[in-house]
Amino acid sequence: MKRILLSIFLMAALLCLHYFVAGSRTAEAAKPAAASCQACHADFTSVLPKGHPPAKGTGLAACTSCHAPDLTGIAKKNAFSSRMHTAHVGPKGSLDCTACHTWVPNKRFGLIGQKWSWGAPKKEDMDLMKEIFISWANSGHTDTLHAKAGIVCTQCHGKELPKADDTVENSRCLTCHGPMEKLALKTEPKDFKGRNPHKSHLGDIACTVCHKGHRESKVYCLGCHQNFQMKIQGAAKP
Amino acid sequence: MMREEIKEKPEVEGVSRRSVLKGAVTLGALAAGGGIALNMSMPGTAEAAAKKLPAKWDEEVDVLIIGSGFAGLAAAAEASSRGRKVLILEKMPIYGGNSIINGGEYASSDDKYHIRQKLNLGEDSTKQHFDDTMKGGDYYNNPALVKIMVEDAPATLNWMMDQGGLKMREIASRAGGHTAYRARTCVAGVGRCFTEALKKMAEQSGVKIRLETAVTWVWRKDWEGPVLGVEAVTGKRTKNIKIKHALVFASGGFGQDIKMRQDFNPSITPSVNCTNHKGATGETIRYAQAIGADALQLAFIQLYPFAEPETGILDTSAVFPFRGPGIGIVYVARTGKRYVSELDRRDVCSRAAIATDSKPTYSIFNEKMTPLLGSAEELKKGLENGRFIKAETLKDLAGKIDIPADVFAETIRKHNQYLADGKDPDFNKPITAKMLPIVDGPFYALPQWPAVHHCMGGLRINEMAQVVDVWRKPIPRFYAAGEVAGGVHGSNRLGSNATPDAIVFGRIAGTNAAKEKPMA
Repeated sequence: MKRILLSIFLMAALLCLHYFVAGSRTAEAAKPAAASCQACHADFTSVLPKGHPPAKGTGLAACTSCHAPDLTGIAKKNAFSSRMHTAHVGPKGSLDCTACHTWVPNKRFGLIGQKWSWGAPKKEDMDLMKEIFISWANSGHTDTLHAKAGIVCTQCHGKELPKADDTVENSRCLTCHGPMEKLALKTEPKDFKGRNPHKSHLGDIACTVCHKGHRESKVYCLGCHQNFQMKIQGAAKP
Repeated sequence: MMREEIKEKPEVEGVSRRSVLKGAVTLGALAAGGGIALNMSMPGTAEAAAKKLPAKWDEEVDVLIIGSGFAGLAAAAEASSRGRKVLILEKMPIYGGNSIINGGEYASSDDKYHIRQKLNLGEDSTKQHFDDTMKGGDYYNNPALVKIMVEDAPATLNWMMDQGGLKMREIASRAGGHTAYRARTCVAGVGRCFTEALKKMAEQSGVKIRLETAVTWVWRKDWEGPVLGVEAVTGKRTKNIKIKHALVFASGGFGQDIKMRQDFNPSITPSVNCTNHKGATGETIRYAQAIGADALQLAFIQLYPFAEPETGILDTSAVFPFRGPGIGIVYVARTGKRYVSELDRRDVCSRAAIATDSKPTYSIFNEKMTPLLGSAEELKKGLENGRFIKAETLKDLAGKIDIPADVFAETIRKHNQYLADGKDPDFNKPITAKMLPIVDGPFYALPQWPAVHHCMGGLRINEMAQVVDVWRKPIPRFYAAGEVAGGVHGSNRLGSNATPDAIVFGRIAGTNAAKEKPMA
């Protein structure tokens, strides 16, 4: 049922693509886009899960009044923002960010109808975020694996908007995947116990050496140990 | 010729050569940026296009270090302990370069615990270390640099033990080309113990390491002025980073740069394996050359004679043959015969192995020798992953590695006799009383084959670790240390000399970099 609802949601979002792209071009320059979802959703009943109380209103506030946006950058699964982005980013980055977000270049970035700001992204930051969101939704890299589990930017990157050279600290990954010793046990090969990528002669290294968030993951070990049999999730598609 | 080219370069912002020589261009004017950068790139390359100095800098640090191996970390520790804000740029996703995967050996004539003396392994001195290093390098070495390395090696080892928590094994090995038991091994048996000690010291005083950041240019305005900074790329972003005090190149050798290997030493064909990490390429040498730095002896590229034959890696097992010669390890070819004096230098051992024309050769030792070759854990691991081949009898061992058993047995018998006689008529190995005959089992064999390992040549430096230009003048504020610098090891580096070389000169570079007055 959930899946069907999601597909309807996605299709609706796609149908609205044209409207939003065309609309945003003029709206962006003039004033923040209207906080209305009505263009696509006459009401929200069709997209709400079964048993969800009726959502009042026509704008974003209909959701955010209960689902308060996460301002703490906590790492948790299946956050509301993840589901919203999965539905609206679409397979090809269809919806413009400003459909829901307010953005004043170099000054603030928030949600329509809300006062707080997550940061002050420049145009290049915004372009990068869009690019990354598309990767997140589609690439098959580590980001997509996380998208499928309902993990959005903040749950890896923290509460600030990630910068171009941002990385994810091991401690952040280990919040869900740790502790390290336990993780290492999971990947200990049966035949050669010493060939454990999570307990190697390189000592304490960053998870991101192999596990790339937004590009192909590669087993770093194989650069030298060409005869090792090792696989990694989020690798290049065959 | 280069001088003429520069002289005639019209883009040098209308500054005549004479006015430059008179010092009409002040450092202050340079630091303000703008204008055209010094650029001696090959005509026709992208870099050869007129390259404008950055109009504005994205970042400024006191001391900027390129590379996070032994030399870079040692330089960082010294510069930061003198109160300088230090940034290390590392192009790879992990810190440590070749150093973190090196064999963990450190040549030193002494140490604070006097391990060699305790183990009753004979005499040594800095003079003896100097003589061996010079001889091993066929006297192509710069004696002044060698002197600094051998004299500072013991104190630098103690420095890491005292301040970085470095721990050493209670062994000292006599390795090929050395006349004394002076190769010391850190507890983990891999260079990581040195990099961890140095990193700890560096980070204690605030050093930052920026990974996955590759230098793409060195900024210098003219051939008399200082280096100003670098252009570096992290991901998709390019930044110009200005130095306030100095720039240190500690960017390692170029063993993985097949084109560069071919340019300088075509005899090392592209198919030859390499023990180095993938980042060991030579672009930083070219960037330094493009701003006038001199380089020397780039053709001297060392093969490690005992690398894993298939992939060329130098794993913990592959260090056993290195530690073995002083205790009587035997190298045999597929014929079952010895092919070289085990105590000979790396270049000789490598050439002799290749001359057998039958990959691989083998290190042979027995159970009694193993505690002197490596840790029990390393032996166990090597057996588990199939690197060491073990048998109860020499005959079985020969069968397992498929060499003629009778020839092999005779080789070992003869070698035992040579040890008893104190004389090796076949290869003239200098026999010592510490060498053990191979009599009782179990017996071990380890396959081995040469792989590109170390670049002896590199940027020309002086005793202050300053990079010297093609006119023999130090380039102001520009230092280099470690494998990127040349001249310490001559034509052939003795095993375990790279670590003291890199760390000693890294310290010198870092100390002198910190002492530079801030740029106006």
